[in-house]
Amino acid sequence: MSLVEGGIPTPPEKVIFKIKRFDPEKQEFYWKEYEIETFRGMTVLDALLKIKEEQDSSLAFRYSCRMGVCGSCGMVINGMPRLACQTQVGAIATEGNPVVTVEPLYNYPPIRDLFTDFTSFFEKHKSVKPYLIRKDPQETETGDAEFAMTPEEYEDIYQFSLCISCGVCYAACPVAAMDPLYLGPQALAYAWRYVSDVRDEGYEERLKIIDTEHGCHRCHFAASCSAVCPKVVDPAMAIQKLRSTLYKKKLGAWKKKTSKKVGPYHYEGPSRAKKVPQLTEALLPGVDLEAKIKEPVNIDIELK
Amino acid sequence: MSGGTLKKNLPGLLQASLNPWLVRIKDHPERLAFILHRVTGVIIILYLMAHVYVTNTPTRAGWEAWTQVMAQFGNNIWNKIGEWIIAGCVIFHGLNGIRLLLVEFFGIGVGRPVHPKPPYRPVSLYAGQRLMLLIVFGLAVIGWVWAGLIIFG
Amino acid sequence: MIKMSKASNIQVWQYITAILLIFFLGFHLAERIPQITGLTYHQSLDAENVYHNYSSYGWALWFLAAIALFHGLNGLRGIFLEWRQGKTYTLTVNALFWIVYLALLGIATWTVISLPALG
Repeated sequence: MSLVEGGIPTPPEKVIFKIKRFDPEKQEFYWKEYEIETFRGMTVLDALLKIKEEQDSSLAFRYSCRMGVCGSCGMVINGMPRLACQTQVGAIATEGNPVVTVEPLYNYPPIRDLFTDFTSFFEKHKSVKPYLIRKDPQETETGDAEFAMTPEEYEDIYQFSLCISCGVCYAACPVAAMDPLYLGPQALAYAWRYVSDVRDEGYEERLKIIDTEHGCHRCHFAASCSAVCPKVVDPAMAIQKLRSTLYKKKLGAWKKKTSKKVGPYHYEGPSRAKKVPQLTEALLPGVDLEAKIKEPVNIDIELK
Repeated sequence: MSGGTLKKNLPGLLQASLNPWLVRIKDHPERLAFILHRVTGVIIILYLMAHVYVTNTPTRAGWEAWTQVMAQFGNNIWNKIGEWIIAGCVIFHGLNGIRLLLVEFFGIGVGRPVHPKPPYRPVSLYAGQRLMLLIVFGLAVIGWVWAGLIIFG
Repeated sequence: MIKMSKASNIQVWQYITAILLIFFLGFHLAERIPQITGLTYHQSLDAENVYHNYSSYGWALWFLAAIALFHGLNGLRGIFLEWRQGKTYTLTVNALFWIVYLALLGIATWTVISLPALG
């Protein structure tokens, strides 16, 4: 749900952070409170780093880029799964209620504190074969042609390829909470991204993978995955498209769009290149033009 | 998937059942519709099983027994309230079911993929299905009131 | 992952029965609306009216039972498959689904076939 347009208020001077931490030795959760001073524009990730620096160095959480690109810092903040780096404290804490609760992502096995285990997430991602499949595997290596794609066809897949695998959608999904085998919004969105790709020929294989009791049929369109997605990938839309495609294909009313191969670009008209005329006189005084032309160009590079 | 991960990832029955209520997302009636659709669905199938059994009464025990059973329903206020709740469930489940048919089976009402632009709202949350959902909520309330007038009237 | 046959073989019927239910259940409910039938709600459930309904379109009521039970029990089956996983469990749930479905459909068939005459 992304960046709120401008006008995020300054957070209260002091904000209480309630953090749900996991103790891997005792295998249990416990809550801990920290009070920190804030500044305008402070994100929840900034606050967690400040807590780690100043108050409790044992606090563990995953982060990397601090700008919503890497998808490492997904956590449940004030009851909604989102990226800590994209959530400003000022947007959620008010003077009346200066409390921010931070929990590890739901529906993932916890490792420690806010760290969660993404093994099954990536297993599911891999299981839908998230890459282009061609009938002739050598084609992409040896071919001299391109797979043509119109801008409209590109638009069909572009949105779904924005996924940064932050896993926030699984934490919001009510079905993923019940069914650990459910492929889930991220994997299914990726399956659709490649099924709808005109360059792909592996759709039969991929539709077989998602057509199981724990595949796309378990989605019930609560659409929470789309509502929390920080990159507006809209997995809910992808899953509905995937599922209706599956049924249409079953009833014989769907045909895969394919791309034409376009050969190397040959231009056979008159040359449009302009020849730059040779200088006839030196532009700087005291330069011997004839000698300069004959002299090879030497650039000194110091190699250490 | 390794066995260990699978086992650890199994949420408790209680937590799994609670999850639809756990997450707090603003402006998100689809989730409410999902919860209601599931709850009403379970109520309806339980009722349907009883209904199939009760409508068997004339065959099993004759028409006098049927008249007796219907008299019981007609005179007991709690039975009437139960009937009214079932009617509400069927109305909501049916109307929302039409929406889900369009969205899940025909794939319409969720919009087309776009180039995301500010303010970054996912298309499926403001496409046709959202309007349909609001209509479903409205019609379900009207239908429920009407069913109440018929049953109690 | 557990090997299973294509789930869409059965799920596609969930939607086909849903489409049919809109019409058949709509009709079944309309039978109870006074503004349409001219009878009050409780009059419409009298033995006379019910017998009349059965004798004129008993097949439709049987068909309604068949699709409604399938739709409902398959929905319940889906919820059970989400709750717990495992090969034995899945097979049990699938078997129970067909057993309960056929048992209830048997009752519905019995109702329609050997309905006693009124009187």
